[in-house]
Amino acid sequence: MSALAQILGRGGASRSPMTVALIGVVAAIVLFGALTTPNFLTLFNAKTIIRDAALVGIMGIGLTFVTLSGNFFLLSMKEIAALSIITFAMGMSHSYGFVLSLLATTLVAVAAGAVQGLLIGLGANPIVVTLGAAGLFYGVASWWSDNLVVAFRRPNDAEWLGTGSTFGLPNITIAFILIAIIAEFVLRYSNFGREVFLIGANRAAGKATGHENLPMAIKVCTIAAVCAGFVAVAFAAQISSAQANYFSSEFGSSGDMTMSVIATVMVGGNAITGGFGSTLRTSFGAIFIAVVDNMMVLRGYTSGPRILSVGLIIVVSIAVFALARRGRRSVE
Amino acid sequence: MSARLPERWVLTWVAHNPDLSFAVLLAACVYVYFALTNGLFATHNTAFAILERFAVLGPIGLSLTLCIIAGEIDLSVGSNAALAAVIVVRFADSLGAFNSLMLALAVSTLIGVLQGLLIAYLRVRAIVLTVGTLMLLRGVALFVAQEKTVSLTDFDVPDFIQTRMLEYFSPASLLCIVLFVCVGLFMTYTKYGREIFAIGGARKEALAAGVGLRRPIVLVFALSGFCAGLGGVVIGLRSGTAQALGLQYLLLAGTVAAFIGGVSIHGGRGGVIGAAIGTLTVNFLDTGLVFDVTPAYMVQLCLGVLLIVVIMFQTGSRVFDLYQKRQASLAESDRRRAELVAKRNRQI
Repeated sequence: MSALAQILGRGGASRSPMTVALIGVVAAIVLFGALTTPNFLTLFNAKTIIRDAALVGIMGIGLTFVTLSGNFFLLSMKEIAALSIITFAMGMSHSYGFVLSLLATTLVAVAAGAVQGLLIGLGANPIVVTLGAAGLFYGVASWWSDNLVVAFRRPNDAEWLGTGSTFGLPNITIAFILIAIIAEFVLRYSNFGREVFLIGANRAAGKATGHENLPMAIKVCTIAAVCAGFVAVAFAAQISSAQANYFSSEFGSSGDMTMSVIATVMVGGNAITGGFGSTLRTSFGAIFIAVVDNMMVLRGYTSGPRILSVGLIIVVSIAVFALARRGRRSVE
Repeated sequence: MSARLPERWVLTWVAHNPDLSFAVLLAACVYVYFALTNGLFATHNTAFAILERFAVLGPIGLSLTLCIIAGEIDLSVGSNAALAAVIVVRFADSLGAFNSLMLALAVSTLIGVLQGLLIAYLRVRAIVLTVGTLMLLRGVALFVAQEKTVSLTDFDVPDFIQTRMLEYFSPASLLCIVLFVCVGLFMTYTKYGREIFAIGGARKEALAAGVGLRRPIVLVFALSGFCAGLGGVVIGLRSGTAQALGLQYLLLAGTVAAFIGGVSIHGGRGGVIGAAIGTLTVNFLDTGLVFDVTPAYMVQLCLGVLLIVVIMFQTGSRVFDLYQKRQASLAESDRRRAELVAKRNRQI
């Protein structure tokens, strides 16, 4: 938590007394929960938390690029994942092998992301485009799989990604950490990363200096879609089967992957209008939500209160960050 | 001359309402397509069934239309409707159907007011806040339903609101039509309604002209919450059951309805009549697809494609407009420069 507070503190104007007080209250609640919840403060549980955060976190990192570049967010994250998971499972069940299936999935994800990015870059509203694309992708995924479970035989050559572990850490956790580090470096030190921030912070200035939003939207949407595709592959590798509605009904506490992913971006405190934030914030957001969720599971809460508390966390964090940035940003 | 008068009237109307004419044309095309391909579609019974669907989707489409007119979008309509459905079904036995209906509508309106206040006070965009409340309200609905599917024990109310009257209508669809008329009058003829149009179409200008942001935002979200609640109540009472995690499809269907109805994502355009026609188009589409025994995901696929097509059409025409304006202003500045040069040459 102190790391989160430290990151928040870097945000210049966010050091208002109210923000600090609210963060203090949240930290106190979490600390109290951590000390009083049985079996919470164990190494095993810490690993569980990070593993839980990994899938949502990877998608969140992808989505962060979209958000930071000022294109809000994609409401079609879980549908891209649904399309990808069906592609992957189709490949695996027809025994094309892991590499070919992964390649096909990547292609599908790139295509899905690029098409949305193209439409957004042409000036269409991201929310509406991706809402429509969500219906389209989900329809295609269901139609392709006949809305049935596509299972593939165990043992297969995808299992190392889903259930394997290296040096005592699950491979998915390692992937999450690696992707988080790479994304942070790309965003901070590469030309592309600086371009993301420039276009996000001030689209007119970006345009005036030759950084159009069209190629940027295509790039960031593709990144987000590829992250969603990777998560789909990892998830399919875990359970050796796929269905179009895996990410809408059976996933995580909230039952809606898209919302969980957007939640990680928001709770991390990235500016939704773009230009300010980092993938590190998103990773911390994912871990924070996983911590709260895990704590509530250990205390025996059912899914209702858990969804309620995640929703509350999002709304409160929106309020906190909006108040913190007040005065720095105009109404628009 | 007098014989050609109606024709001219139609042409004038089309020229003045391009969005509405597009909506009417699309609705007519969808209806005619299904009427031609399926013999059972153009019947009185199907018209009744379509109006029954209209009673559910109508309020949702209206809710989204109002928000988009104000230049915002309310993503939490599905959750709000689900919460209202859960409340009305859960408390129908203990409080009586009418009281629980009032309770559900009061709760959803209150949620709308709170959202509006938060948006106006925190100065965040509605998209940002309503993504949060979308999840929050699901949690509240799960809490109210105690994580079960709630259902009515007494089926008098579901029977009553589906009673067929006047060949095409039921109490539910009549209620929905009354709602449309009231909201339409409110939006067109009151100061408050025009304020909502103003902050959508030209927010900076409206603020500069002294229209506050707070009142129209709170008002539009209160209306939106009320409409979403009404949609949820009708669904809950009619089916007799409600699920806290249900009704997710309403957001897509309602958005499609709003956009067919001619709203612009930049706000300030569209209206209640458009919302009604847009909703009817969606109703024609999903009723027709159900007639042809199409699975639900194909309906979703069609709606998704339709939404993308409509939004790209809108974006395209906007980009084209901007291009034309730019060309015109460039031509104008060229002309002026040429004039100046000619003048200077004369002086020399």
